[in-house]
Amino acid sequence: MPQTGTVVIEETRTNAALATPWNVIVYNDPINLMSYVTMVLQRVFGYPRAKAKRMMLEVHNQGRSLVWSGEREQAEHYVHQLHGHQLLAKMEKSEA
Amino acid sequence: MRIEAVDEKTVQLTGIAPLVADCLQRLGEILEQRDSPAVHQRLFPKPSTDETINAEWEQFTAPDLRHLFVTASETVFRDLTALKLDPQHENLFCVAFPTVHLAAWMSAINQARIILGEQFHITDAEMERCDLDPRRKADLGLIRLHLLGWLLEVLVGFSSGTEPAA
Repeated sequence: MPQTGTVVIEETRTNAALATPWNVIVYNDPINLMSYVTMVLQRVFGYPRAKAKRMMLEVHNQGRSLVWSGEREQAEHYVHQLHGHQLLAKMEKSEA
Repeated sequence: MRIEAVDEKTVQLTGIAPLVADCLQRLGEILEQRDSPAVHQRLFPKPSTDETINAEWEQFTAPDLRHLFVTASETVFRDLTALKLDPQHENLFCVAFPTVHLAAWMSAINQARIILGEQFHITDAEMERCDLDPRRKADLGLIRLHLLGWLLEVLVGFSSGTEPAA
């Protein structure tokens, strides 16, 4: 029984850590074309053009946009894809 | 300048202005700057504020990205061997290449723009300048950045189905 209890506590902690979402943020830069950023957001995330354009405009006007939230492994994949298209992107653990 | 499908597997870029053709001929020398320290930081940015993640990224992911960039560039260099005077438009150039290479073209051209931007410390304000003097090295870099941007806009338009006016 004690062993089982210990396992349950560890699993709870692990699950809590896994449950904390990671945000993928795209940052503004002076070089990338607005049309190019919109196309990349559509291709990487599969977003419809209107949503991708809205996020691109947020990047352009506010300097950054939260473009995706979810598990860390997937966030890493998306940041890799965005860097592969030369966009400035970072992943950060959500504070929520 | 416009791009159109020749058949199911090939696209053709026609009406390429000599200045744009010159930029394409110089892609190799621009892309060679990929690994200079300032450019490296921009082309291979840190993915996080967590230094452990960043260290792993530099070790395992950055080489993969570099391979991706180099492969795209090499594809475009091979396609550019077919760059020639456009028989339909006097003093302009044309080139045909496989449609599946479009992503490589957009990558290589955007890499070149990013590199020029870092080399000449281009800011938002610089991008708006209209008083460019091609005799000045930095201005010439910015002119090339804009010319490649024009070409990229055409490729993105074709690729996204939102082709801009020629």
